[in-house]
Amino acid sequence: MKNKKKKTDVQLPQILNLDDDFSLIKRFIDGDESTFNLLVLRHKEKVRNIIYLTLNNHELVDDIAQEVFLTVYKNLKRFRFESQFTTWLYRVTINKCKDHLRKIKIRSIFTPIKDEEEDFGYSISPDEKDIAEIVRKAIDQLPEKLKIPLLLKDIEGLSYQEIAESIQCEIGTVKSRIFRAREGLRNILKPYESELM
Amino acid sequence: MKIYTKKYELLSAYVDNELSEAEIKRLEDEIRFSKDLQEKLNDLKKVKKLTSSSVKSVPENHYFDTRLSAAIRNDGPWFFRIRKYFPIAGIIALSVALMVVLKVNPGIVNHLLEKQKSNISDFYKQNLKPLLYAADLTNEDIFNFAFYHQLPLDNQKHQYLFLGTGQNGNQFFEIKNGNQFSNVNNLDKFVKGLNLNSVQKHQVDSILSNYADDLQSQVLVNEKNTVAINSNIWNYNKAIVADLVSFAARANREEMRNVLPAGFNSYYNNGSVARLVSEVKSANGNKYIFITPDTIFSDSFYFDKEKFKQNMKRLNDEMKKMNKNSENFSFNFHIDSNFVNKTKIPSYNGEFKIFVDSNSCLIHIPQVFVPQIQYPNLDSMATNLGKAADLFRSFSFNFPEMSRGKSFNYKYSYNDSTDGYKFNFRAFGLDSTFNFKDHKLNSMTGKDFRRFNFNSPDSLEGFYRSFFGDSTAFNQKEMEKELQQVQKQLEQFQKQMEKLQKQLPKNQKQGKDHKSIEI
Repeated sequence: MKNKKKKTDVQLPQILNLDDDFSLIKRFIDGDESTFNLLVLRHKEKVRNIIYLTLNNHELVDDIAQEVFLTVYKNLKRFRFESQFTTWLYRVTINKCKDHLRKIKIRSIFTPIKDEEEDFGYSISPDEKDIAEIVRKAIDQLPEKLKIPLLLKDIEGLSYQEIAESIQCEIGTVKSRIFRAREGLRNILKPYESELM
Repeated sequence: MKIYTKKYELLSAYVDNELSEAEIKRLEDEIRFSKDLQEKLNDLKKVKKLTSSSVKSVPENHYFDTRLSAAIRNDGPWFFRIRKYFPIAGIIALSVALMVVLKVNPGIVNHLLEKQKSNISDFYKQNLKPLLYAADLTNEDIFNFAFYHQLPLDNQKHQYLFLGTGQNGNQFFEIKNGNQFSNVNNLDKFVKGLNLNSVQKHQVDSILSNYADDLQSQVLVNEKNTVAINSNIWNYNKAIVADLVSFAARANREEMRNVLPAGFNSYYNNGSVARLVSEVKSANGNKYIFITPDTIFSDSFYFDKEKFKQNMKRLNDEMKKMNKNSENFSFNFHIDSNFVNKTKIPSYNGEFKIFVDSNSCLIHIPQVFVPQIQYPNLDSMATNLGKAADLFRSFSFNFPEMSRGKSFNYKYSYNDSTDGYKFNFRAFGLDSTFNFKDHKLNSMTGKDFRRFNFNSPDSLEGFYRSFFGDSTAFNQKEMEKELQQVQKQLEQFQKQMEKLQKQLPKNQKQGKDHKSIEI
């Protein structure tokens, strides 16, 4: 009886989780490559958003997203199930974005971050009326290492732990970078303080 | 400043709900008493709200999934990229393997084919029994087999096995529905045509009966609708012809000399026929041609005739049953129409050529497995045998049309014969009485010629003694008597007319007096 109950306990999650990420990945590893399409369908929206917010260039979104999923496809059979699939997926996405930024040699736009006051040295035109657009431009002006944790937290809703795994750093670093990103964003948006805040 | 920064980081984490309960409690206590922290918390909340609300969905390219699939295919693992070539590679590998196998063991295909053939042939060879059981074959049937190359396949004589030789010399079997010649009682005609007496007729019957026993093993059948024909049946055909012709020549040499072509008459005296018959009967004729509903093939098959004879009594019962079946025996042609069309292609190089229509099944046999028998005087005799058979046919059934006139010619000739026969018959003087206009000699077919004292082609000169088309017969004296009577009557009639003519002027003169004469 006890064994029967245990057996039921074991089987139930398997049935319920047939279409979760891990199950899909297992089926993919077992040879059912059609499950990869389900993974793409499930996560491509978030991947595309991260790319877009990171690069602030919608023309690059599809190409970078394709590279992301291609990389995932090639390496999915080596997935170790030690973390969430999304964590690995976002890390791959961010790395692809970083690679792209490196390639187009825009690394120079990143301003060295000082511990005390952070002067980003850029501003938004006061004529901008679209608040969302203003905010996106402000976010885009943030350094990559601040912007990505901020986006992963405020846009994608990841926990500090997940963000730390995605960008491969400590949770304290994530916490610090998110705060600094917000501080930087607030400074950029100061001219619109009366309208935004 | 650094302390404040740490506090602000905690506030940011507090906004993100990332602090533990203890940290939250402690921070909230501090916030409650610090205006600066309260303001910073509000700022952080506003910034978070602005960031969260700035999301704008990016329109997706319609071909994103398609492009991704194509990219995966083109950039996948090597085995994934070559996967599309797997079928071709498989075929090539199979071909190479096949070539290797054939190289190592070249006879494997033939072996398999032979094995398959053997299985098929064994299947169709099972339980073969003689169709031409002696009791079923009449002497008439054997006679017709000798001269017309056909044997009935059933008691009802619905189907016939016909042996033939094509123009190119190829021999063939043909299974036909229905009798192929309309005349019957050919043996009887043969006997009457040669004017054989009862003893000689009995001898002819004996010759034919002697072959009936041997012929029964030449055609075998079974319940699988198989017809097995021994290739030696051709030799039997020739042997019977030779035997009959030889006997006929001995019995009535004069008639035969008139009938047979030159050169044929010489062979029957040298004992060659006896040797031929002996060789045919002793030939190892184990090669049968099996005609089945599925296929046609030739193979060796030993039919134990002696055992068959020993078990005759027991088989007799079975054969009675078989006879019952054979009443309904019908060889069914289940040959696919495509195959039939294929076999009609002249270039078809199969062992057999099969022509099937709704009424017959013709099987050409390019390689005939006839046992080689040394015929006596084979060159001339074998040819003559066939000619003799044709000759009998003409003699018995196909009289040429008779010409009109005061005399008619019966011209008998043969392509290879030096003899020609032309009979000039004296015709009757009274054409009006004996009009030959619509009479043909062919109309005599099937008549009892002896009743007309017409015994052989040589005796055709006696034909004028008879009338055509009725049953009245006259002898010559009666005829002459009748003719003399008619002649006398005519002479009397002529005299009366002449007398009347002389009397006519007188009457005319008297008519002037009487003005008219009524006749």
